Amino acid sequence: MNTLGIILKQTLEARNIKCLLRETDASEDHVCIDMDSFAETLQFIISGQLLGLIAMWAAEDFEDHSGFTLFYVFENHNVQELLVLEVKLPDKSAPSIALDFPIACYFEREIKDGFGIEFEGAFDKRRLFLHEAYPDSFHPLLKSFENQALDMKPEEQKGSEYIFKEVDGEGIYQIPVGPVHAGIIEPGHFRFGVMGETIFNLEIRHFYKHRGLEKLAENKKPSDCIAIAESISGDESAANAAAFAMSLEKINACTIPERACRLRTILLEMERIYSHLGDMAGMQVDVAYPFGASMLFILREEILRYNALFTGSRFLKGIIVPGGLSRDIETEKLKDFNRYLAGFKTRFKEAFKTACDSSWVIDRFDTTGIVKHELVSPLNLSGPIARASGAAIDTRRNHPYGTYDRVKFNLPSKNEGDVLARFLVKADEIKNSVNIIKEIIDNLPEGPVLSQCSDNDGHALTVVEAPRGQNLHWVYVKNGVIDRYKVRTASFCNWWAIEHAVLDNIVPDFPLINKSMNLSYAGNDL
Amino acid sequence: MLLDLLKNIFGHKRAADIDPELAEFRRTGLELKKNIHAVFGRSLAIRELDSGSDNAAEIELNNLSTPYYDVERFGISFVASPRHADIIVITGAVTHNMALAVKKTFEAMPQPGFVIAVGDDACDGGIYKDSYAVLGGADKILPVDIKIPGNPPTPLQIMKGLLELMETIRKKRKKPEKK
Repeated sequence: MNTLGIILKQTLEARNIKCLLRETDASEDHVCIDMDSFAETLQFIISGQLLGLIAMWAAEDFEDHSGFTLFYVFENHNVQELLVLEVKLPDKSAPSIALDFPIACYFEREIKDGFGIEFEGAFDKRRLFLHEAYPDSFHPLLKSFENQALDMKPEEQKGSEYIFKEVDGEGIYQIPVGPVHAGIIEPGHFRFGVMGETIFNLEIRHFYKHRGLEKLAENKKPSDCIAIAESISGDESAANAAAFAMSLEKINACTIPERACRLRTILLEMERIYSHLGDMAGMQVDVAYPFGASMLFILREEILRYNALFTGSRFLKGIIVPGGLSRDIETEKLKDFNRYLAGFKTRFKEAFKTACDSSWVIDRFDTTGIVKHELVSPLNLSGPIARASGAAIDTRRNHPYGTYDRVKFNLPSKNEGDVLARFLVKADEIKNSVNIIKEIIDNLPEGPVLSQCSDNDGHALTVVEAPRGQNLHWVYVKNGVIDRYKVRTASFCNWWAIEHAVLDNIVPDFPLINKSMNLSYAGNDL
Repeated sequence: MLLDLLKNIFGHKRAADIDPELAEFRRTGLELKKNIHAVFGRSLAIRELDSGSDNAAEIELNNLSTPYYDVERFGISFVASPRHADIIVITGAVTHNMALAVKKTFEAMPQPGFVIAVGDDACDGGIYKDSYAVLGGADKILPVDIKIPGNPPTPLQIMKGLLELMETIRKKRKKPEKK
């Protein structure tokens, strides 16, 4: 198709701007421009108001350009392909685009930490994933830094102090929470500015779990990195493994067997089901309704056991590999699962009704933690959060992959944007996923599940709809090893919605709002 | 209504037939309960500490309190503060960004306290071993008593690890008496 790329190329050429349209996979349009023409190109993109920024990253010594190359990815929900803008930097600086695309603020801070690239005009230049433990001059993604264990002591904080936003005024006080929380939850820091019981301001500081995943993949054989993709977030392992594998399959022009393709869809939907069940249960725990939660926890445990039965892992690890699946799933087991799902549907409906019939549950959910629709595009929100805020977007529908262009499913969407809307959207998505799985099992062809996927050089971009929203993977293979692996999970963008959603809510509702969004700390921190 | 109730009590339990582990889990749990009684006097308070896991281990630890497992019946509870804890269960390789918080959390636990590393990453750093961003396994920074490997370990494996800890503590206690 290449519609977006051709339009951009024609427009730029009409203004005498040199640009190059790369030959790529049909799912992306890749336009290369010089830094000199960046401002004008960006102006054109902004003026059209049709494209939203969904990711941004840098690479060093990309192909034949020595130095840094910046990549900007734009999306229009009505166009299947994504627009990638590749900009070669002459030096170590670039103009900030955060005033036009607010989410770029976080991408730019991430790039600055990784490579030391300065963004001129950026309104927030604080460090992001590198905390005080790291010296200010440390930039781990530079090629000159060889990945190795660093000799650092916890007591020694070599970097400069992180400055939080100051909120003051009569009667306003701060509540710092975390990184270690009261429950069995991942670490992160929340700083509330509170007026009485009402939240006046929230600032989130994350990346306590930064494990250096992107650097870890570098200089490894692509096929050895599937475990890294799976550990981005333990409960999104199928989605991330699939996205990583699909990137390699695009690079190598590998078509996976039909059976593997459909089985992958089953696994991806099982992941969505158990993830959403956990959220819906957790939301009821947070409003002190353990009975309703238990009904859903029981169902989730059963799905986790089917995960183990099919793949050997309760979290679907180790089965999705480049080229297909590492092992087949017996048709008999799937048929048994199909029978189980019939009962599951009834029990889920009953559990859902129990929650909806409980006025104290609905009372706490309703009008709590509203995410305004206006935030969806500037913050690049995706997944159930976006769908509960009036945006009927879903990567499975907007940029179909695997078998998603062939299976039928509804796109639930609500306009309220509150906790209740997210609860209802997730319930609908579970029902949809059950139907998708049923349809696939009923029409599953026999055959092999793995085809040969070689280790050629190249780069490819893949987006998938994980349970939490859109995950983006970009893999660049050079000389047979991974040279740069970029991951942007849905949580990386969705986290910032919560800073807005909690305003004017009371502090005790924060855990509920947080749970209703189910954001991943591990997937954000990488 | 009454029929539903009777069905609930006497009817076929789906949980029973997809669960070969349940009987073993119960056995391990009862054994653990006996041990907890002997070592800690009735109950065991666990504080979970995530130092950089991928969250799968947390989900399994949370699962221990869901209806299928319900470990409170064995005298185990997860507590909100390290100050209330007998044991810290640590998951994930220790990241540089978390190291200080991990140390402070451990120091807040009353002594004698014990540390269990849950999952491959917490045991020895796992796949992150050579990353710039992690110190390594939990034992790089805390005195780890027991390691429970797995990616992540299942609820049953976690229970067996707890049992192992109880036995280790009992053995340690016996030794001075012999002297």
